[in-house]
Amino acid sequence: MKSAVKRALAVLTVLAVAFSLAACGGDSSKGTTLVLWSIATESDAFHPAYTKAIADFEAAHEGIKIKHETFENESYKTKIKSAVSANELPDIFFTWGGGFSQAFVDSGKVLAIDKYYTDEFKAQLSTAALGNATYNGKIYGSVYSTPVSVMFYNKKMFDKYNLKVPVTFDELTNVCQTFISNKIQPFGISVKDTWVLAMSHDALTLKSAGPEKVKSVLTKQGGSYNDPDFIESAKKIKELESMGAYLKGATGLTNDEASAQFYNGTVPMYITGTWMAGSIQTDTETPEDFDVAPIPVINSNNAKITDFMGGASDTLMVAASTKNPDVAGNAAFELTRSISKYAYLDGAGIAAWKVDYDDSAVNPLTKKSAEYAKGATSFTLWFDTLMAAEDAGEYLALLQELYTGNVTPEEFAKHMADQLGK
Amino acid sequence: MDKVMKNKTAIFLFMFPAALLFTTIIIIPIVMSGYYSLLKWNGFTDVDFIGLGNYIELFTSKSAGFPRTIGNVMLFTAMSVFIQLPIALALALILSRKIRGEKFFVAVFFFPVLMSTVVIGQLWMKIYNPDYGIINSALRFLGLESLTRVWLGDQNTALMAVFIPMLWQYIGYHMLLMYAGVKSIPVEMKEASYIDGATELQITRYITIPLLKPVIRVCVIFAVTGSLKAFDLIYVLTKGGPAHASEVPSTLMVSMIFLRNRYGFGSSIAIFIIFICFFFAILIKKIFKTEVD
Repeated sequence: MKSAVKRALAVLTVLAVAFSLAACGGDSSKGTTLVLWSIATESDAFHPAYTKAIADFEAAHEGIKIKHETFENESYKTKIKSAVSANELPDIFFTWGGGFSQAFVDSGKVLAIDKYYTDEFKAQLSTAALGNATYNGKIYGSVYSTPVSVMFYNKKMFDKYNLKVPVTFDELTNVCQTFISNKIQPFGISVKDTWVLAMSHDALTLKSAGPEKVKSVLTKQGGSYNDPDFIESAKKIKELESMGAYLKGATGLTNDEASAQFYNGTVPMYITGTWMAGSIQTDTETPEDFDVAPIPVINSNNAKITDFMGGASDTLMVAASTKNPDVAGNAAFELTRSISKYAYLDGAGIAAWKVDYDDSAVNPLTKKSAEYAKGATSFTLWFDTLMAAEDAGEYLALLQELYTGNVTPEEFAKHMADQLGK
Repeated sequence: MDKVMKNKTAIFLFMFPAALLFTTIIIIPIVMSGYYSLLKWNGFTDVDFIGLGNYIELFTSKSAGFPRTIGNVMLFTAMSVFIQLPIALALALILSRKIRGEKFFVAVFFFPVLMSTVVIGQLWMKIYNPDYGIINSALRFLGLESLTRVWLGDQNTALMAVFIPMLWQYIGYHMLLMYAGVKSIPVEMKEASYIDGATELQITRYITIPLLKPVIRVCVIFAVTGSLKAFDLIYVLTKGGPAHASEVPSTLMVSMIFLRNRYGFGSSIAIFIIFICFFFAILIKKIFKTEVD
């Protein structure tokens, strides 16, 4: 009896070991397989573009396969950070340029891909577009779209009350006042998903302080956040909030819930990234009722109507640990080039690469947004991407406090100055 | 059996896998977190040893708002023990009296425990929706427009609004534990006291509940430690907002580590949660022991 038990145990142990070994083995099929991580999940507007770009790449390079693994946006931010610290990055990974990836690059886990940025690519994608993927003078990633913050509005509702698109902040408050008097809540916004509130605040701050000052203060290259121009934009947010310009209950609504109110014509305005142009085509019944405009100017001495928040931030980077640096480095550029094209044709994003193909089928909203991006006098990366992660986290938390009235605009600016001065 | 217990090799063989797993996935990470909590570290680059700096910041920094999260979580713990458990006990006592549809009700009350928290979160988000949610709709229907709120977005109501679904979800869990406990009490004891003339209420008070004490103790420990490390439903419903109104230590920890890359500071919160859970678990055991003696 006893020996039978022993034998059974021995067999079980051997089986368990064999299974675990088999699980570690992986496939040994011929050719090269690159693993790509992105946030283009099946419901994401960029998913079809990624799929087509990968198919193109695989067709052009025989023997190379790309395994695309996708993750939900918020959880991906966690995943990518743990992957960097655990040294478990895939060959190519999606990330955000600017401050977000600074620590990744500093840790030496990301490959510099300057040498794969050939003349062919240089002709189609400017070095300037790669600014947010450039650290210490080296290129660490390639980009595919140039989203900017804009104001989407419901043309039909504007026409009904004879309103013109506001160009200055005073005009904007007048527009809001008209809607409010007619029992319409002017702006859709989400404070729960704080990045949506940040989109509005970032843009108003840009239009108050101007691109140079914003950039130098947020990246700690001189100047203080405790400055009248910064206090001004915080005040404007508060002013809009107290006059009732924002969707009631915004503090408890997600971006999806809030934007649904915009799509169904409950609220006439929404400040967000140009990616909404694509969603309007699919999520509203009458896309032709909607239009897009730049964000009004607060202080015309500092900022112009053509100054934009945004720029190429969505980036594909290559891990320093990849076994095929040459293939992966080239793939980062080829993939982003194709994604740029297909995403633009789908209306999902504004092409960062040169448009040398027929784009007459692109929806008018995306096209108009692309025109704005093309005519931009400056791009300033969104605050939470531009700043280092620690400061960005504090910024988003403070914005909620500002919106709910726990801190005054002056206190807000002072807290921010303290945080950035740490 | 005796023979096995004396055989050192057998003991080692049977204990080893569990002990190995326990050490590698529980003990070592705790020790590592303890070490990380003494660092200023963004998770990727160089580390900076700062001793107890993180712990000092934990209790002194106003912007991190840690003391407030402790207050919130203590309130929730008290609510679990004094609201959730009595309801669970009452349900268990009622259901174990062979009422009609007993099995059905046990299943119904237990159902929320089986559902994914994210699903429950979505469900309650719809219930709380200021526009079409059932609560505000009902209030409007009753003409109580003035009572409608942005339940999850109002700093005054957000905390309670997340606590209610959390209490609701786990009532079924504690009920099932207690129900099983009641069912395992020998019927003879109840019958004997019944013959001696005890009323139903007296039987419950003097027979069932005292015999149920070990189960209740387990439930209290689960409820307290579960509340102290509560996370998922809060994260789905409010993410700790608005403006930290519904923040608890675990949501703060996640935002510190993964939003702000402050691994050291986040680890010190983790260590604090572990410490406080142990503290309460031991305290509860002590309280129940002295009562038994």
